[in-house]
Amino acid sequence: MDALIALSLLAPLLVAALLWLPAGRAPGLRLAPWAPLPALVLALAAPAPFELDLPWLLFGSRLGLDETGRVFLLFTALIWLAAGWFARAWLAHDARRHVFAGFFLLAQAGNLGVCLALDAASFYGFFAVMSIAAYGLVVHDRSAAAWRAGRVYLTLALAGEVLILSGLLLAAGAHPLAVACLILGFGVKTGLPLLHVSLPLAYAATPIPGAAVLAGAMIKAGLLGWLRFLPLGEAALPDAGTAMLLAGLLAIFFGSAVGLAQRQPGALLAYSSISQMGYIAVAVGAGLLAPGLWPLLLPAVVLYALHHALAKAALFLGLGVAERHGATHWVLAGLALPALALAGAPLTSGLLAKSALKPALAGLPAPWGEPLPALLALGALGTALLMLRLFWLIRRQTGQPAAPGRGLAAPWLLALLGVAGLGAWLAPTPTWQDALEAGAALGASWPIAAALALAFAAVRLRLPAPRIPPGDLLLPVERMLAALLQPGRPLPPLAAPPSMLPPPSAHPARVEARLRAWPLAGMLWLIGVAILLALLAR
Amino acid sequence: MIDTWLPVGVVLSSFLPGLFIFFLAESRIRLRTALNLIGALAKLALIGVMLWGVLNDHEYVFRHTVLPGLDLVLKADALALLFVTLSAVLWLFTTLYAIGYLEGAPHRSRFFGFFSLCVTATVGVAMAGNLFTFFVFYELLTLATYPLVVHRGTEQAMRAGHVYLGYTLGGGALLLVGTVWLYGLAGQADFVHGGSLAALPPETAGQLQVVFLLLIAGVGVKAALVPLHGWLPLAMVAPAPVSALLHAVAVVKAGAFGIVRIVYEVYGVEFAQSLDLLTPLAIAAAVTIIWGSLRALFQDDLKKRLAYSTVSQVSYIALGVALFGPLGTIGGLVHLVHQGIMKITLFFCAGNYAETLGIHKISEMDGAGRRMPWTSLAFTLGAFGMIGVPPLAGFVSKWYLGLGALEAGMPWVLAVLAASSLLNAAYFLPVLHRIWFRPAPSAWPAEHIPQRGRWETAPLLLLPPLATAAAILLVGLFAASAFSPLDWAKLIADREYLQWTP
Repeated sequence: MDALIALSLLAPLLVAALLWLPAGRAPGLRLAPWAPLPALVLALAAPAPFELDLPWLLFGSRLGLDETGRVFLLFTALIWLAAGWFARAWLAHDARRHVFAGFFLLAQAGNLGVCLALDAASFYGFFAVMSIAAYGLVVHDRSAAAWRAGRVYLTLALAGEVLILSGLLLAAGAHPLAVACLILGFGVKTGLPLLHVSLPLAYAATPIPGAAVLAGAMIKAGLLGWLRFLPLGEAALPDAGTAMLLAGLLAIFFGSAVGLAQRQPGALLAYSSISQMGYIAVAVGAGLLAPGLWPLLLPAVVLYALHHALAKAALFLGLGVAERHGATHWVLAGLALPALALAGAPLTSGLLAKSALKPALAGLPAPWGEPLPALLALGALGTALLMLRLFWLIRRQTGQPAAPGRGLAAPWLLALLGVAGLGAWLAPTPTWQDALEAGAALGASWPIAAALALAFAAVRLRLPAPRIPPGDLLLPVERMLAALLQPGRPLPPLAAPPSMLPPPSAHPARVEARLRAWPLAGMLWLIGVAILLALLAR
Repeated sequence: MIDTWLPVGVVLSSFLPGLFIFFLAESRIRLRTALNLIGALAKLALIGVMLWGVLNDHEYVFRHTVLPGLDLVLKADALALLFVTLSAVLWLFTTLYAIGYLEGAPHRSRFFGFFSLCVTATVGVAMAGNLFTFFVFYELLTLATYPLVVHRGTEQAMRAGHVYLGYTLGGGALLLVGTVWLYGLAGQADFVHGGSLAALPPETAGQLQVVFLLLIAGVGVKAALVPLHGWLPLAMVAPAPVSALLHAVAVVKAGAFGIVRIVYEVYGVEFAQSLDLLTPLAIAAAVTIIWGSLRALFQDDLKKRLAYSTVSQVSYIALGVALFGPLGTIGGLVHLVHQGIMKITLFFCAGNYAETLGIHKISEMDGAGRRMPWTSLAFTLGAFGMIGVPPLAGFVSKWYLGLGALEAGMPWVLAVLAASSLLNAAYFLPVLHRIWFRPAPSAWPAEHIPQRGRWETAPLLLLPPLATAAAILLVGLFAASAFSPLDWAKLIADREYLQWTP
């Protein structure tokens, strides 16, 4: 086992080193997709609580796997494997593919290490390596949009790193500010509201396999940070818990609403991630609020993380397949599986995850216990709308015969198998039983049915609606900074630069009219939710 | 018997070759190189013996009475060896680098002669056993580095030399006044763990505070504490090996090391705390850290940006010293070593860009990574280390400084560290962005050394930064191993706190 743990961490690093040498490029590129295999084997084969003390490493490191770490390692390794395999075909004609692979492997080593680290310093170390190396993925295209996304990503990531380090040190000194620093520091990665602005830019700018690991695997590293370092289940922190719960609820609805106003599938999926991570933030907030519930909440959070990670990675890879092959029936059918899972449809990992979450959250004290399940169901409606909007956006993809498309299907299939099978395999039996009840299936179906009805109505009515550029709040901030730093220069426009928008389609006017219908529905419904929340808070 | 002479041997191992080199003809390259290397290796061997001894609680003391009541003392204790080892190892690399750097340049005998004297003075500062000895070598260091700063003889270099001399001689004068005053108050006292002043009558407390200010201002000039730092950015006109020496091996470090000695072994950290001297020192260090970083942001000259970065980073050492508690001490002491390794790497790389491609300005660095990947890799490790990215050296320092700040009950220091990390990122990452992500220009400013096969530059210019860059990674990654700088800093902290109870 010890050798396997070493191999898991060293394999990506060694292949990256091979890529650094001009002579090692060709073999390195051949090996790159398989670098996460040792970690995958480790996740499947290691005995459950398993520790390895390395007193000579860093400040004396402890690596290993507990139940939580094992699930995280499992989906992380699987996503990196699928994405790396996908990348080989996706970038087959890219002259700088070895550069992409190098950053990809460094970030991978960091991400796998995060799952294996059991002490603060090594966790932070792996986390930093992952975050910084991912910059190379974000800016790979070297386009104006990519540079901007990279700048925003790196600025926020570094701010997050500094907050995390401060939080870890403060926690070591049992300082009361530690929790806030840790929530916000890891919140940069998980896309808490206000810290979320880099996600839409980065996901849209990163090449598909990079976006898949950002959205599937790396975002979960932030969650693992919360799980590892917040005093969950130990102490009741009503203020922090309430704040996080509210932030999570805001993220759920804000993410879906703004996501509906997106034109780029990548940006839409980013807002979907913000929304989905909101559910997790709600659960973690609940854990801070009521430590007694944590034993119930933890497995639910882990299951939700697994479900969302695999579904989101599969959606991104599917997006890539649709882009190269066109949105054929088969491709749309493949995409439907993770989309339905995210919407929490019956018989999917999404329903399992939600079934695990609901009873745990229902135990919360007033004023949360009662309304939360209803709010979460409303959130599911938002997710369903978002997924319909995604299909709407990609349904006209015709494929690019010139670009390499061979070899994309197999890795996507691997991710889809993960979506279909892993959640079911890892969910505990009671959750299974809950999810299979007729009532649960019914409860899970109505948001999807309602979303279909709303979507149909919106298309029919041709409602006009605002479009929100990716990064929403970032634009006024950038405007303000530009005015501060370069007074006298003309201000950049409030709307996104034109290069960020997809090319106009064949029937612009008609399509526009229909597209605008969706976001309006979303905005109306966001306002409704806000009123509901205001009533609750009284 | 031999024990007494080991510290002297360490001093002489660079002094004697230095004297010989002065009288060598310019053309005796081989003999000069051989002398340099023999000196450097002999010094390392002697240090190795003493390291083993000190680890086993042995001390090596040489004492010579100049006048009654005025002893010249060389003492190799754990703290001295931390600095001596750093200087000796980096000196070896810098010598190799300088041989490559100055190939074919004029006045090499003069250069290497003073170079050796400079290191002699540095190990003297490190092993000084009392304030008088410290002062002697401290002044010798000033005099030995001046010819190196003005080595190029240009008008700019002469001006920088004048400023340097003005600042450092002024600092030396303050140090002298402080030393004499203290000798008058307390008589001659060796540096000892826990200091020697706590026994003085309480009514001298006011005087001791003034003396502390004088002494710290005296060494603070070399340590480039704001507002005494003005000479350092100007001195960047010196050749790259000299910059490396100034910033990493000798001068700046001697100042920072002086702060360590004064706080721990003249006053004693516990006594200094009782005189309320540590908090002002911490504030001065914090101001310097932020101010240096802010100034670095706006420099386009690469070496100037690195110089302001030194101003900022060296004060981490003073900050660690000012944080009362063993963890802060460990952070400060380990940064003495870590800052040296990181900064020397960065200056080696800056020298490589200048010598190979004629790049002096950051705005000329676009695409340099494609042409000089190995140099750029070393530079990247140095820069990330400075920012404090794990698992590199700078992270280890920052971690312990942060823990020390909390232990000392000064959580505001964490905000300073956080701001400094972000500022470091703000002035290093744009450089890295240019090196790695921007397309290269059609021609370099002045390509002196063409690509030869796999060698992007001369081997003697490339290997030293690669070695020190590897060290940045290794001392961080294996910080917890035996014989790491961190391990040694822990040993020293163990011995400095006499009554400490956490």
